[in-house]
This record gives sequence, structure tokens and C-alpha cells, in this order.
Amino acid sequence: MTRETLDVDILIVGGGPAGMSAALRLAQLQKEHGGEPMSIAVLEKSREPAAHALSGAVLDPSTLRDLMPEFPQKGAPLAVPVLADHVYFLTQAGRIAFPIIPPPLSNHGNFIISLNLFTRWLAQQVESEGIDVFTGFAGQDILMDGSRVVGVRTGDRGIGRHGEQKPTFEPGVDVVAKVTIFCDGVRGNLTKELERRLQLGAGRQPQQFALGLKELWDIPAGRLPAGTVMHTMGYPLRLEEFGGGFVYAMGDGQLSVGFVAGLDYKDPLFDPHMAFNRFKQHPFVASLLDGGTMVRYGAKALPEGGWNTIPRPYMDGGLIAGDAGSFLNSMRLKGIHLAMRTGMLAAESAFEAVRENDTSASSLERYQRKIDASPVRAELYPVRHVHQAFGHGLLAGLAFSGVSLVTRGWSPVDLHGDAGHARMRKLDTSVSPQRDLRASNETAIDRRLTFDKVTNVHYSGTAHDEDQPAHLLVHTEVCSSICGPEYGHPCTRFCPANVYEITRDADGTPRLQINASNCVHCKTCDIMDPYQVITWVPPEGGGGPQYNGM
Amino acid sequence: MILVIAEQRDGKLNRASWEAIAAAQAFAGLSAGASATADPVKVAILGASIGAPASELAAAAVAEVLVAENAAFASYTPDGYTMGISALVDQTKPTFVLMPHTYQTRDCAPAIAARMRKALITDVTGISGAGANATFTRPMFQGKLAAQVKPLGDPPFFVTVQIGAFRADAVQKGGSAQVTPVAVPIDASAIRQKPEPPFQEAKQAVDLGQAERIVAVGRGIKSQENIAVAEKLAKAMGAELAASRPICDNGWLPMERQIGSSGQTVAPKLYVALGISGAIQHLVGMKGARTIVAINKDADAPIFEVADYGIVGDLFEVVPALIAELEKS
Repeated sequence: MTRETLDVDILIVGGGPAGMSAALRLAQLQKEHGGEPMSIAVLEKSREPAAHALSGAVLDPSTLRDLMPEFPQKGAPLAVPVLADHVYFLTQAGRIAFPIIPPPLSNHGNFIISLNLFTRWLAQQVESEGIDVFTGFAGQDILMDGSRVVGVRTGDRGIGRHGEQKPTFEPGVDVVAKVTIFCDGVRGNLTKELERRLQLGAGRQPQQFALGLKELWDIPAGRLPAGTVMHTMGYPLRLEEFGGGFVYAMGDGQLSVGFVAGLDYKDPLFDPHMAFNRFKQHPFVASLLDGGTMVRYGAKALPEGGWNTIPRPYMDGGLIAGDAGSFLNSMRLKGIHLAMRTGMLAAESAFEAVRENDTSASSLERYQRKIDASPVRAELYPVRHVHQAFGHGLLAGLAFSGVSLVTRGWSPVDLHGDAGHARMRKLDTSVSPQRDLRASNETAIDRRLTFDKVTNVHYSGTAHDEDQPAHLLVHTEVCSSICGPEYGHPCTRFCPANVYEITRDADGTPRLQINASNCVHCKTCDIMDPYQVITWVPPEGGGGPQYNGM
Repeated sequence: MILVIAEQRDGKLNRASWEAIAAAQAFAGLSAGASATADPVKVAILGASIGAPASELAAAAVAEVLVAENAAFASYTPDGYTMGISALVDQTKPTFVLMPHTYQTRDCAPAIAARMRKALITDVTGISGAGANATFTRPMFQGKLAAQVKPLGDPPFFVTVQIGAFRADAVQKGGSAQVTPVAVPIDASAIRQKPEPPFQEAKQAVDLGQAERIVAVGRGIKSQENIAVAEKLAKAMGAELAASRPICDNGWLPMERQIGSSGQTVAPKLYVALGISGAIQHLVGMKGARTIVAINKDADAPIFEVADYGIVGDLFEVVPALIAELEKS
């Protein structure tokens, strides 16, 4: 088979905030320095720019100011400035307001945004600079020459359910680049493969993740002033579980309501989606949503591990930026500005290296130096093991957060955190007694306030071509013979989109059914399955959720 | 004037054509409210020997039935029908052209509209406003949103009407419309397709969109062998058999019988849901059915929220009883 090849100077894989900021920065550098114009391409797996972008979200505008000071004139969609901060500890029926807002959670000067609209706007800026954004193309494989990254192969199109070529078959394209900037997001399939092949995580701590679930609600006008930001801890989680809820009041009577659950819980029967439902059932949250309508749903994992878990972000011919590299401040619950900042720094490093005609790892190491001299390190280093402290429970985490604020991060020894999936306990030692495969935190579904996963998925706009191979590669032998008996098929609970289902054959033998077309590309299964036998690979380009306003 | 393009095959009109006529009559009625005179509705039909369907159409309360007979229209070809309908529209100068949103229309309507450089609004589920103020409602994002669309530019405007959005039995009858033959000259040599006799790819291949009655099975059927129970009920009712997604995923019924957001959208007169919980992905594919009967063990199943008649019970007890009753009569 002959494949087309596209040669560019710099390839950006992933059109999120990191990738788009990198592209914009490259366009600026080009203008500042002149000379032979560089060819730049951006690959994005969603059908339209930003259709897979999902976040809470509160934006710290510091990077945006540096990247594009004229952003107000260019119409950046920053929905509302944050006007009021609230932090609550929830009990089953009550709430206790924190007497002071912990400094990391103070959002004065920040904006409530829709990441999806914001990223779409960034994409428009990128396209108006004449940079090609190839939407509907996922990076499937890394092209390597020894230990050197030379580009990315996009996925084939038109492959049928059983792997056969359909009449619409089109082989993927080899995009060859001097430098490839990987911005493939949290648990990016390419970054994961790079880490494995090049040992980028050597000497680093295991990465940590959480799963974020979010709904947009239209609520009766006048209930909550636009610009109100609320964060909660406590109920419905147990003290040993990391996570919490959020409610952001956007304009137009619209609420962004969400829940983040650490992907390091111990109870194999825990279901993050059920925890979200329970959060909405809390009398306080329910009173905000009463009489409203859920209009959209989405889910996405977040990298929570912090500074000590960031893999080596440079290699021969390659750089890693944004969530793919775990650049997120879990204490401030913010990563967009860091994704944008690392995107900019990666762009600068790539630009200089290409101009110097040396794109080796030793030349691209300048990216690490730029990060170390930037606000990224200044922000992440002092809180480098706060998330790891939460591994010892909410109280330990809060106490440690307080201490690290006082000492500005000084510590005699850095706390260690195990990989989240390794903390999951087996059923026989678990904190929940087994009750079939039902979630231990199961709650009533009324389809008004609380929803089942399948209904929620409908509101994510998710669609895939049905006639294609499953894009979730599962070692089903492990699944039925080991993981099922030991952990009770946790995939059926941690997946927020009902991709994994256990059906029973006539003789009662469990069989894993993969509803791949439900997948919202959150990556939780790839992260959390206890035997690490699920691999998420991109489905045919263009498939996935269709977020709008999320 | 509103021109409806009716469809026939082998002299038989399809239900979707009647639905399009109902839509046109309702639309004309809106303009009657707005001004003194209603827009006249005319119906056109193309074919080779179509006296029978033409006189059937004449029973509807319409101004005129235009009959375009030509050997080139004997069976559908994209070129033949594109040229034929374009010529008809040129001759009759309607303001709106309504077509049923069938496979045939989906094939030729874009070509006609593009050729004439006119607006085309597809898969319309509702019409509001009269004449130049008309606004058309059509689904977007798999039916999650409804968009209101106005045509721009000069008439004629082409509109295709979603199957099941209007009711065939709502067509006002009682007219004895004049049947007028229209000569539509066609250069047969310009037709680049030569249709072979129609055939069904698989024996079960079926256009569920045209079915008047549907029996659909869901996960509650439990095993492939039990499908026979539903098949028997379908036979007794003269209904087509369909299924929700899990059944087709399991390969118990072929994919083309799947109803829902990743299958077909249907709007039969009667929809009997057996052991279907009613996930929203299924509901979007069948909520347009006139009468929905649901049989499910779980009284809280969402299917009961859309059902007109519900039986909370074991389908393996209820269905045989239904079959026995049906076979008695």
C-alpha cells in the first residue's frame, strides 16, 4: 500500500489549548523573525475544532495576556468574570462554609469560560494566521527513526467492523516533521506510547488522574448570580476518596455543574458517575437545579499528579505540552493556562531548534529550561506533592495543603504516590461487601435530576461510524477469568459512558460487550483498569463527542 | 402555488406521498388564515403508465393533479427524475415544492435544487407562518435540536417532509381535482443510468420507514430463540419486526432492523415495544409513532413515559395471550 506523505517543519498533534497556543506562538515568532517561512500543521481528531474540548472551567487569564494581549478586542469568549467564591464541606444533608477561601481556590481576576467555545475561538485565530488545522484526523502511530521522532501517521479511514477495507477505504497519511509537539491531552495515546518506548517516566513518580464529569443546566433566571463559583468537598465521597463538586454560574441562567473523582479510589464497586448523581441529589445542589433542565453532558480525565509526575517532555524530534505532559495544578484545579503556557514554550523551543537546524534531544532540552524559568515551575513546584498527600485521605491532604502554603513547598522529603489503579482493592478485601456488580454508591435515577449513563451520553452528542473495529483494545481473557472474579468488572462502573457492559450467555457465563460507539474519549478505562489491559486507540477520525458550550 | 411531488412505484402510491400532501394542505391553510385566499395545492406525479394512482390522488382536496407520463419515467433514474421534476417546476412555477423525504427524494432533490440554484430544506417536521414568512422546522444533531429555517433567494423553494411528521389520514379528501396530463419532454439519451430490475439484497431487507405497524424487541427478549415469539406476534398483526440496539449488536436480528439514533427513524401507526427499556437513543427513533404500546417487566422503564398503552408484565406471558386473541379474530 502506498501512503501519502506530508512534509512539514513543525507538527502539532492535538488542537486543544496547548496545541492551539503553540500554533499561535509559532505564527508570532514567524512574523517577528521573518526568514524562510516554516510549514506548520495541526492534527485534531474531532470533526470540528474544539468539539472534544471539555473543562469546568475557570480560566486564569495570565497566559492568555502574554500570548495575545489584544484578546478583548479579538473577542475572546470569556463568559463572565468570577465575582464570588464559595468553598463548602458537604455532609449528607448539610453544608459548612469554609470561613476563609483557601488562597489556591481564590478566583479573583479569573473568568468562567466554556473551554469548548474558548478553544474554538483559539482555533479561529490559528486559522486566520494561515495555519492548517486538519480536523477529523487522529494521530494513530508515532513515526520513529531509532529513538528519534520523525512524525505521526494518521488513522486509516474506511475500515470495517471486522478489519476489512470498505469501499471508502483511505490509508492514513504520514506527516513527517522536524519537530513534533505532542498535545494529545490527558493520557494521550501517542504520549503514552512515547513514554513507554523512550522511558520518559524514568525517575519520575507514577502519574495520577481523576475523572471529571460535567453537565450544563438551564435553570430559572435569578437563582444564582452569574460569576458565582462554588467548590465542595466531602459528601458524597468518603474521607479516603479524593474529589469534589463544582457549580459555576455562567450568564443566561446557565449552570456548569460537575464532579471530579480521583482515579485512585480503593473500592472496586465505586462508580464516579453515581457519585456525580449523588452530588446533584444533595439538598443544596438539588435546590439550585430544581425546575431546571440538563442540556449537555461530558466527561474527561484530568492529570492530577503534579510536578513530580511530569515525564521528560523533550526527546529527539519531539516535545510534550499541556495535559499530555501532566501540566496541571491540582491544588488550584486549573490547567488551561499551563497547557497554553507549555504550548507557547514548546513552540519557542521548536522554532529555535528548527532555525538552528538541530532538533536533537540535547537541543530541545531548552524546553525544560524554559519551563524551569517560567511561571509553570513557580506554580507547580511548591505544591508538587500535595495531591500525593490526598492519597492518605482528605484530612491529611487538607492539612498538608495548609502546611505547604506556609512553607512554600519546602519539605524534607517528597511524598510518593502509587499509580491510582494499583490502589484498587479486590472484592474480598474491599470496603464494600459485594452485592452482585452493582455500584456500592448506587442511587435512584429519576431522569430529571439524576440520569443513567446512556441518557447522559446522548447529551454529549457522541457519534461514531458504527462499522469500524472497536477502538478499545481489551485483553478479554484477563477480563473474564481474573478481573471479573477479583474486582467485579470495575470497567462497567468507572466508564462514564456505558461503553463496558457485562452480558450473560445462556449458561450464565459473563461476556464483556464493548459499546465502543458510546465512548466520550475520556480515557478513564485506559487509566483505571486494575490489570492495565485496556488500551484506548483513536477511532476513525471525526468520531467522538460533539461538545458545544461545554 | 404549492406543488407536491407524489411518488409511485408500479402504479402504487406510497404513504409518504400522502403525508406530503397533508403537509401541503396544512401549509396552504396557514396562508388562508393570513390572507383571503389559500395558496392552491397541486400534486404532480411522474411515471410511465399512471392513470390509476393519478385518479387516486384526485380524491384529495387539491386544485389539480398533474400527470407527467413518459416512458423515461418508467423506473426511477437520478438523471431522468432530476430533468423531469426540474422541467415540471419550470413549467408550473410553484412557490414551494414539497417532496416526501424518501430515499428517492434524498437522491434527486439535492440535484434538482442545485441545478435550479434554489434553496432546499430537508427533513422538515413542521411548518409555521405563511407564504414568504414561512419557517420550517427540521432536526439537527440527531434530533436533539430543532432548527427553524427560512429559505433565502427566489422561489421556488424545495422542501422535503420527514416521514411520519404529518399524518397521511389527515389529508383532506372530497375534492374531485382535475387530472391534467403534462407533456414533459425528456431527452432520453441524456439519461446516464440504466436501471436494472429492482431486487432485495437480503430476504429481510426492509424499509421500516414505510411500515404501518412495527413490533420491536429489546433486551427483555433474553435470547435469540425467543425472537420467534415476537416474530409470531408481528405475523399475527401484519407488522414488521424491528429491534433496539443490543439485539442487533448481538446479531440476533440484522442491523437494518435497528431503530434509534444509530439505526432507522420510524413513525408507524402502531409500535409495539417488547422488553425495551426505552433509552433515549431508542426513543428518538420511534417517538413519532402514533400509538405506542409497551410491554415491560420494569414499571419504571422510561418507555412507559412515551407509551400510550403500557402493560407491566412478563412479555412471555402477555405476548402469547395477544397472539391467541389476534388469531381468534
